[in-house]
Amino acid sequence: MADETFDAVIIGSGAGGAPVAHALVRAGKRVLVLEKGPLFHSQHTSPDGLSDFKRDEEFATGAEKVLQVQGVANTGVSFYSSHVEPDLNDEPHVYRDTDGQDRVTIEGYTAQVVGGGTQLYGGVSLRFAPDDFRLRSANQGRDDLRADPGGDVAREARDWPFGYDDLEPWYCRAEELVGINGTRDGQLKPASVDNYQKPLEPNDISAHVAAGMDALGFRRYRTPLAVITEDHAPSGRTVPTDRESIKTAFVNRYGDPLGLKSNTWVSLLHPISTQPGFALRANCVVTHLSATNGRVTDVHYRDPLGRERTVGGTVVVVACSAIESVRLLQLSAERDAGFADRINGNGLLGRYFLTHCFGGASARVPGRHDKSRTLDSDWATDACATPEFVRANGLWAGGAIYNNTSDSALPISMARTWAANDMDTMWKGYLYDLDMRGDQFDGYLTENFGRQLSVAFMANQLPLPTNRITLHPSVRDKWNRPVAHIDKGWHSHDRAVMDVLADRCREILARGGDGVQLIGFGHVGNDVRRIANHVLGGARFGTDPADSVLDPDCRAWRFDNLYVTDGSFMPTSGGANPTLTIQANAFRVGELLTTRV
Amino acid sequence: MPVVLIARDDQYVLNHTTRFIARDTGTVSEPFHLPVVDTHWDGASAETSYQFNDVTFVHRDDEAREVGVVGTFGELHTPVPLREVRFLDEPTGLWAATVRVGKGQVHRYRFTVDGRSVLDPVNPQRQRTDNGQEWSRFFTHGCAVPVSFDRWELRLLERLVTQVLPFQLAENRRFLADFYHKLSRSERDRQFPLAFLMDESVGVVNFIDKLLAREERHNLDDYKICLRLIDDVLRARFPGREPAELGRQAFMDLYDELAANQVPGWDHGRYGEPRYFLLLLRRHAMTGAFAHPKHGGNHGAAAWAYLAERFEFDWRAAVEAPLGRNTDYRG
Repeated sequence: MADETFDAVIIGSGAGGAPVAHALVRAGKRVLVLEKGPLFHSQHTSPDGLSDFKRDEEFATGAEKVLQVQGVANTGVSFYSSHVEPDLNDEPHVYRDTDGQDRVTIEGYTAQVVGGGTQLYGGVSLRFAPDDFRLRSANQGRDDLRADPGGDVAREARDWPFGYDDLEPWYCRAEELVGINGTRDGQLKPASVDNYQKPLEPNDISAHVAAGMDALGFRRYRTPLAVITEDHAPSGRTVPTDRESIKTAFVNRYGDPLGLKSNTWVSLLHPISTQPGFALRANCVVTHLSATNGRVTDVHYRDPLGRERTVGGTVVVVACSAIESVRLLQLSAERDAGFADRINGNGLLGRYFLTHCFGGASARVPGRHDKSRTLDSDWATDACATPEFVRANGLWAGGAIYNNTSDSALPISMARTWAANDMDTMWKGYLYDLDMRGDQFDGYLTENFGRQLSVAFMANQLPLPTNRITLHPSVRDKWNRPVAHIDKGWHSHDRAVMDVLADRCREILARGGDGVQLIGFGHVGNDVRRIANHVLGGARFGTDPADSVLDPDCRAWRFDNLYVTDGSFMPTSGGANPTLTIQANAFRVGELLTTRV
Repeated sequence: MPVVLIARDDQYVLNHTTRFIARDTGTVSEPFHLPVVDTHWDGASAETSYQFNDVTFVHRDDEAREVGVVGTFGELHTPVPLREVRFLDEPTGLWAATVRVGKGQVHRYRFTVDGRSVLDPVNPQRQRTDNGQEWSRFFTHGCAVPVSFDRWELRLLERLVTQVLPFQLAENRRFLADFYHKLSRSERDRQFPLAFLMDESVGVVNFIDKLLAREERHNLDDYKICLRLIDDVLRARFPGREPAELGRQAFMDLYDELAANQVPGWDHGRYGEPRYFLLLLRRHAMTGAFAHPKHGGNHGAAAWAYLAERFEFDWRAAVEAPLGRNTDYRG
């Protein structure tokens, strides 16, 4: 018997958990949200008027830490994480590298804090394109796909249990309640209601991207960003008198002290926090679930001081980001053969783990721009997501392209990402450029500060059963539980997708006006380390219990009351950043659950 | 001076401590986070709030009946009581109190647990007084009092970091001097918690001194060993001269040697890779110069002002008043 019970216990307070909590509490239900990380406030939600997030470059990518995990090949390496990223020594994710050795992933991003990853993300809130929901049907009978000699697309692509039109009202709901600015005209994604707030003026460096997109005939629109630019009635948030001051480069990888970035704490949870049915327990980690006859009876968690407690829910919703959700289910299965049989009878739990085909191009522009006055992105295009583009290029799916404006905007971030592609190479480019000192340092700033511009793409990764999450045989977390172990590689067709889209990003910059110098372009297709950003799949939903972990309502097939609503439900990863789709789906499931508890 | 207690709720204490403390295996992670030194807000004015920090002392003891803290931030013989932190209306075994402390200060403290005086078992910073008693130590934002290095080390380090940064260029030196002199007296008092001279390292040495006392304590030995070795090398090369007083060329040559990982006279038995030390120094110099001044470098935001002067960089728009001009964001 659990210590106490609620209508719903929701594990995780980010994009997958908060919308469910919001829907249920608004319907008068009693809901407990358990969150592993702290409740870090913005100023307006804080009892003392101060935020736990700061406009301070040391908060985004801080001091050196040293990896002390034993039994992996990168013990002893340095890493530089944000103040709310998981402690890699206390709870690492281990991946199998191409040399067959295990390493701890250095790339952070998933935040352990109320609001989860939405506290740190850049806020890019694109919808998926209609074809992203039907990639099996859309590719049926094709024999023109590049780099797919084994016919893996035909075998592994899956349609979602519903189409774009079915999710569309939930996209509208999410856009309204989360608080997003952007423009609709030019999108490939039809909207029944336009809930966008008006975007602020783009940073003038983005004019090069607009010019490049126009020159290529790519229809463009203002990137939808989860940052409010006007007072937002659903969450009770207000904007500063000087709206232009909303633009600061302390965006991507920073929590927002003013709460203008629409993380799920300020947009969805804080507005319901005074409702009698709502309880939030931060600093509480769920260790495992226990069940009897297909009914989860107890959620076992450690309280802030590590004491064991239990709680029960009429329904239990797991939403602690794909890798950790899969791991939690696997840890529960490890303790109970009956649980294991129900959650993983078909052997699919953890399989079809996905991220995104990702890459882009960067350039140096002739003029100088104040990139400290910016949000994360200004212009986006769906030109490479249209069925025509996809077919013409022999691809199975397309993706979104948008520019980044906040990268390299601040002096330390510019240095630590200098010639560095990811968190593993953070700082190294600058540090080893030993000639960069004195006047050459000055020259480096003159050449680059306020002059760097990049364009990125985000596209579907082909689902493969070999890309999977399991429990590591030996590495354990600070609660002595096995950590997540990730096997993930790229398919040759993924690389074809990335080659095409990276080249389009290059072209956008190349056509961006006189004097724009390309620095480089490329993608992550030769790198298996990228497994922290946009983690998706591993517990996919579907209409066939033999082919999926969850049913179309995101309920585990052989459980009465167990739901999974973070990105792990996705059978394909979509051609855009996933957060808005996770939120829309979670609102859909939340509404369903109001009739089940 | 009477201690000013600040109301920070139990959630705040749990948010800033349990991640490091609670565990079944291993020891406390990132113990330097304690005590928690944070922004102060008096509810009224950025100007008056800016002079202070909130310092939250936290002590874990499941058995204690009464916990207090004494230290040089208050009256040495009158403990400030810590309250019992609760979760779900039950005691957690954590005790906490938040006090207001001026910026730019170093203090020592000890906990009193049921009348017994104990060191903070988590915070690794310690200080021994003249009478041999050991105390726990903390410092507040913008602190310019050396805590990690001796004077000779600070002077040598100053010369080394200058090699890394762009401020030794004549025009940049002029800019820094002008920047400092153009500040009004009141601005200087407000922005510079302790008096110092604007120099070519814009406070980077002080930043490193503080970083090695807390977040990067694991790199302190590298500095201690390498500064000693560099001192030895330079004394052998320039007999009778004080290393920190040597001309610019001596340090430019030394930089090149460190970069090449070949420093004539270097004792590799004591430190294998001189270039590794240069890499540390480069990262710390870059960070210290351009990080928020509260971390001890970027004095008076001089490096940001240099970027604003040379390039387009309106740093004041985002940064809290009175350092910047944003009055919505409180720091």
